[in-house]
Amino acid sequence: MKEIEKLFDRIVQRVNINLRELEYDVNPYVHKLIPFNQMVKFYGFYGVSPHHPLSFEFRNSNLAGSYFLGRCRVSNSLLYKSDIRGDELKKEKDLFQYQDFEIPVVDNEEIHIEDSFLIKTLVHNFSHDPETLERFFIKDTISMNYANIHGAPSDGCFLGVFSTVDLTTMRDCVIGNFSYVQAGEISHLHIPPGTVWVRNPGEFNFYYQYPEDKLNDYVFLAAGSPPQGMLIDFVEDRKDAFQRIFDVVNIEQSVDVPSSASLDRYSVTKGHTTIGENVLVAQRAYLQNAWLGKGANVQENCFIINSRLEGNDVTAHGAKIIEADVGTMVFVGFNSFLRGRPDSRLVIGKDSIVMPHTIIDIKEPLTIPPGHLVWGLIKDETDLATNSISIERLSTIDSRLTVGNMFFEGNGAGFVAAFQERIHHILEANGAFFNGAEKKGHAQKNQFISFNTIQPYPEGTKKGMFPTIVIQP
Amino acid sequence: MNYIVKDFMVPLSDYATISKGSTLYEAVLALENIKKDKNVDQSVHPHWIVLVLDKDGEVIGKMSQLNVVRALEPITEQTETVDRISKFGFSSNFIAAIREESFQNGNSRDYVYTNPVTMDMKVEDFMQNLVENEFIDENTSLNSAAHQLTVRNRLSLLVTREDKVVGVLRLSDVFSALIEAMKKAH
Repeated sequence: MKEIEKLFDRIVQRVNINLRELEYDVNPYVHKLIPFNQMVKFYGFYGVSPHHPLSFEFRNSNLAGSYFLGRCRVSNSLLYKSDIRGDELKKEKDLFQYQDFEIPVVDNEEIHIEDSFLIKTLVHNFSHDPETLERFFIKDTISMNYANIHGAPSDGCFLGVFSTVDLTTMRDCVIGNFSYVQAGEISHLHIPPGTVWVRNPGEFNFYYQYPEDKLNDYVFLAAGSPPQGMLIDFVEDRKDAFQRIFDVVNIEQSVDVPSSASLDRYSVTKGHTTIGENVLVAQRAYLQNAWLGKGANVQENCFIINSRLEGNDVTAHGAKIIEADVGTMVFVGFNSFLRGRPDSRLVIGKDSIVMPHTIIDIKEPLTIPPGHLVWGLIKDETDLATNSISIERLSTIDSRLTVGNMFFEGNGAGFVAAFQERIHHILEANGAFFNGAEKKGHAQKNQFISFNTIQPYPEGTKKGMFPTIVIQP
Repeated sequence: MNYIVKDFMVPLSDYATISKGSTLYEAVLALENIKKDKNVDQSVHPHWIVLVLDKDGEVIGKMSQLNVVRALEPITEQTETVDRISKFGFSSNFIAAIREESFQNGNSRDYVYTNPVTMDMKVEDFMQNLVENEFIDENTSLNSAAHQLTVRNRLSLLVTREDKVVGVLRLSDVFSALIEAMKKAH
């Protein structure tokens, strides 16, 4: 066990050195957070399929409970129950569009994780940094529970609980709990908890800040204590359901799955659940009495409980939908928590956009009209009035807009178009538009994945460390 | 222009000063009194700053009109919000507009002038602290001093003799010397 402890200390030191200018010490937040004996309990695993590249290299690392797909290189790192999905990486000879440049990709892109500690973190998409097209790097970085590193190379950063950095290169930054950042490139920034920031320089800038005291009820991280709050409780209360699917080798699916849809064997399905055509359910997703219409997708760490998604809906990584009726073409952003009640359901009209990291937690019925954009903390009709806008009205904004704690500058139509294009791209990539012959996506390609497990040393000073493993086709 | 700094500096004894521990209101009066002081030749270059001295008479800071105006800025929940969002890539026009709205929606600025907490603020709480590139030796050539003012982007420098502040070299005085030199050349 000594090796794993030394590695932990080394990673903490490296991250602290990077964050010295911000005077941020990560040690109190990660010390004893994951007991070392937990890190030796779980196997790592990787996917093999004819539709994905296969290239892994693991050195001097712990990979407990983590999953790998595509092309990935890990060294001197601790990856605890994390998902490293390399199924959207760039390929050799691709052309990467950046501003007015079309940059040729000269080699297959790889995810490189070095000297980092990722806890229950999702790594997905591809590097959006034009300076590092072939290497999606994560180095000297610690990310906490349920963080998302999505197309976001990272060097010397600390990501808080339930935080997301999306399509953004970050260097020497602290990302607060439950903050969402999509800003292209950031450096030496300390983002406070509960910040939702979407910026495309010269085009638009969207900023919302959660009231700290109210956010703390949902997500809170204090030095020396594990993460707390309703979101943590919600996930922890359901983690036993996942235990069985990780313990059993051959698992029977309990619901009918159309031939054009994919229900990952590492997802949980309970109650009366219906899977429609072209539906994608990713691993670590949790379905309970869920009705998923044609083309809907449920990504990693999502929960759909007693809810109906009409079709072509995007439920982005970590989003939770409880006691809700969701119209067609609704986007629910990363880590959003949408909770109706059995007698007070939440209704989301078609073509609506729920911004990443939105919390809707109601005790009376609430309806979001079709074609609306919503954000922030919404607990009733009053909150909805100050945390939403019709997409039609937003599209007319060409200078600035302030609504409640939300500040927007720039071109509203451009902002809406960027979201709509992205939603379309996600649906396309996930196979929502598959017509039986063409437009295959993850829903069709992910049906035939084999999973192999890898194990650490069971005893001795290397206990918990995985041996060097190179896996090639 | 074969002058050196001490030829053009204002000696410390001629400069307006105030003691550490003085209140904001006393500081404002000190700044105002500079203008009323008949010993200062207002027709040339009035002093725009007051030097802050410790109990030993050593210069520990500078105070300008800007420092006072900054100290009088009201701090409310709304202004704090504006300060926070200004770090997130919004344009200066956007920030100015949001700040204007916060002023219009907030309390009148006048309340600040009667607020005893603000009026009793100590000068050391809002003065400009001295930094390493604030000083210049009295024997430095004026040409070099002019260069230092431009690269350090400063309106004045504190003149030292063996690490002790003995005067102030102001941009306005250096500029006057430059003009004279140009006139002579023509």
